[in-house]
Amino acid sequence: MLETINVSKSFKGKKAVQDVNLYLDRGESVGLLGPNGAGKSTTISMISTLIKPTSGEIKLNGVNTVNKPADIRRVLGVVPQELALYQELSAYENLKFFGSIYKLKGKELENSIQHALEIVGLKDRQKDLVKTFSGGMKRRVNIAAALLHKPQILILDEPTVGIDPQSRSHILETVRSLNETDGTTILYTSHYMEEVEQLCDRVYIMDHGEVIAAGSKAELLSILSSEDTIKLELSMIDELFVEKIKKLEGVRKVETASSQLKVIAKKGSNLISELVYLADSHQIQLLNFQTESPSLEDVFLHLTGRTLRD
Amino acid sequence: MKSVLWAQFSKDKRNPILVLALIMGSILATLFFSGGIQTPTKVVIFSEEDNAEEIEKKWEDRLNVDNAFEFVVTDPDQAREEVRDGNIDVAVQLMEMDYRLLVISELPTVSMVRQHVDKVFQQEAQISSLIDATGDENIRSEIENYLADAPVQIEAQGLDSKEVPSYNMSIQLMFAFTFLISMFLAGFKVNNVTNDKVSGVWNRMILSPINKSSMYIGYILYSFLVTMFQIVVVLIVFKYVMNYELGDNLWTLIIISALFTFSMISIAMLLTGLVKSPEQFYAIYPSIIPLIPLISGAYMMPGTITNKVLLFIGDLFPMAHAMDATMSVIFYDANFNEILMPLLIMLLIGIIAMGIGVNLIERRGGSTATK
Repeated sequence: MLETINVSKSFKGKKAVQDVNLYLDRGESVGLLGPNGAGKSTTISMISTLIKPTSGEIKLNGVNTVNKPADIRRVLGVVPQELALYQELSAYENLKFFGSIYKLKGKELENSIQHALEIVGLKDRQKDLVKTFSGGMKRRVNIAAALLHKPQILILDEPTVGIDPQSRSHILETVRSLNETDGTTILYTSHYMEEVEQLCDRVYIMDHGEVIAAGSKAELLSILSSEDTIKLELSMIDELFVEKIKKLEGVRKVETASSQLKVIAKKGSNLISELVYLADSHQIQLLNFQTESPSLEDVFLHLTGRTLRD
Repeated sequence: MKSVLWAQFSKDKRNPILVLALIMGSILATLFFSGGIQTPTKVVIFSEEDNAEEIEKKWEDRLNVDNAFEFVVTDPDQAREEVRDGNIDVAVQLMEMDYRLLVISELPTVSMVRQHVDKVFQQEAQISSLIDATGDENIRSEIENYLADAPVQIEAQGLDSKEVPSYNMSIQLMFAFTFLISMFLAGFKVNNVTNDKVSGVWNRMILSPINKSSMYIGYILYSFLVTMFQIVVVLIVFKYVMNYELGDNLWTLIIISALFTFSMISIAMLLTGLVKSPEQFYAIYPSIIPLIPLISGAYMMPGTITNKVLLFIGDLFPMAHAMDATMSVIFYDANFNEILMPLLIMLLIGIIAMGIGVNLIERRGGSTATK
């Protein structure tokens, strides 16, 4: 349905996005994951035709939209990262304005407003001024404003930044429902791994303006399928003890944090008995231990050498 | 365009304080700097003669013939105390056929009061001597009737054979302050473009089917209508409530104000194109605007500024031309053709500034895709 082909963007000679290739099939929910400054917002600004790519193509149903933005704008709903609302107006008045710029009138406009308010769960607060809303409610109005013209593709740019867990879960539920019930194609950008894991069928991981990995969640996790992660909680941590663990066969990486130790080792290394023995011989009490399956966070760490929030 | 207008006006409906405060500001600034509502100057009079009451009554009637002064009988001690304390500039001590002015310094009011009192006393002295000479008490009314329609009267005429108008600085100041404050209002409203760009509302509009020229026209028309509302309200208040002599050409004054407003909105748009954020605009615009009436000579009598460089700089801004046109209409009864040149200059300034301003705003968007 929508694809970008080698899309790049430079600002004053500095490359912000380089050769990004991604695609969205109809009805899919796709995540764009990366730390701040990875180039996610620039990429979606190009897809939504707000900025022109320096090079590359953006195709909607096989037609390049770079010089013909009207086609894609008709089917696109964009939820920007900032609260693009008039704080002095009520939720209803905001939606009335945003609906009217999409040429919606009369009953059609009214129905669209009420439907959008219902989706985001703000029907009973529609007459209240936006400036009196909590951060989470404002974010929900921000989403509602992008739904008025019933877009086929919804692009959400970090829609849960700086809000409480309850609102966050409401927004995630709304997005899921839009995708599953209404069949809206979703492009969801975030630097919260768990949101993308929860919502998206496929994920693109971006860093430094480039897509560094792409695929379904299972495909991405398979990058780390050759590794086991063991977390140990100890009464104390001894440097000599850590050094000895690093020398064990199959151990690839050891991370320490206060009284916790994270050991990443080759899959099937069966290190548990050796770790228990080593702790005992160093008179360190083993309080707790667990083996973990890799997460997308681990994939990102593996690919970039840093965490998403670095 | 209608949607943009509706949204902007809805915001004002929720928070009308700025518009109302600026309307009040225009009225108060004019009243404060031009000496307030045109009321007669109060002058206290008293007598310490034996027949004080009779003297006070006689002169009170004869002195109160001019709308410029109101002579009020006061207790002598109170009159002296008020002059001594500086509460009043002058008091008049009356005698049977003479007077004495009580002053503490030679202020402009003193000479005007002296001139008026002196004239009344001289006229009374002449009438009294005629009555004494003829013994005819009716001669007073005869003289008064004769002077009211004297065979020889002095009338000053201009080169165009019309009556020479008297220049009223209060009216000039009224327009100067109204235009000054309207420039603030126009600027603050134009700055909504930058506010909406920063908030992301502008981008939402870009993505919608509304075209860019409709967006710009919406913002410009809104700023224009709000500013014109402020100017028209102030003009109506001064003309019909405070009885300022604005002449009979109110519509011509409104046309001048409309062109002035358009050109100032364009200048504000030009500045909007130069700044990066609404905050920058709020910092720069109010620093520049108060200088415009100063270099345009709006607070001074015409002809006060003679320096050619200053005159040239003043002419670059619409205010000098707006003041020129309004004063011509009010004091010299100029018709539309006679003020066409300042109107065209304002229009030209408006078109040039608007063209550059919109271009700069679009360029600042850099790579923003076009509609």
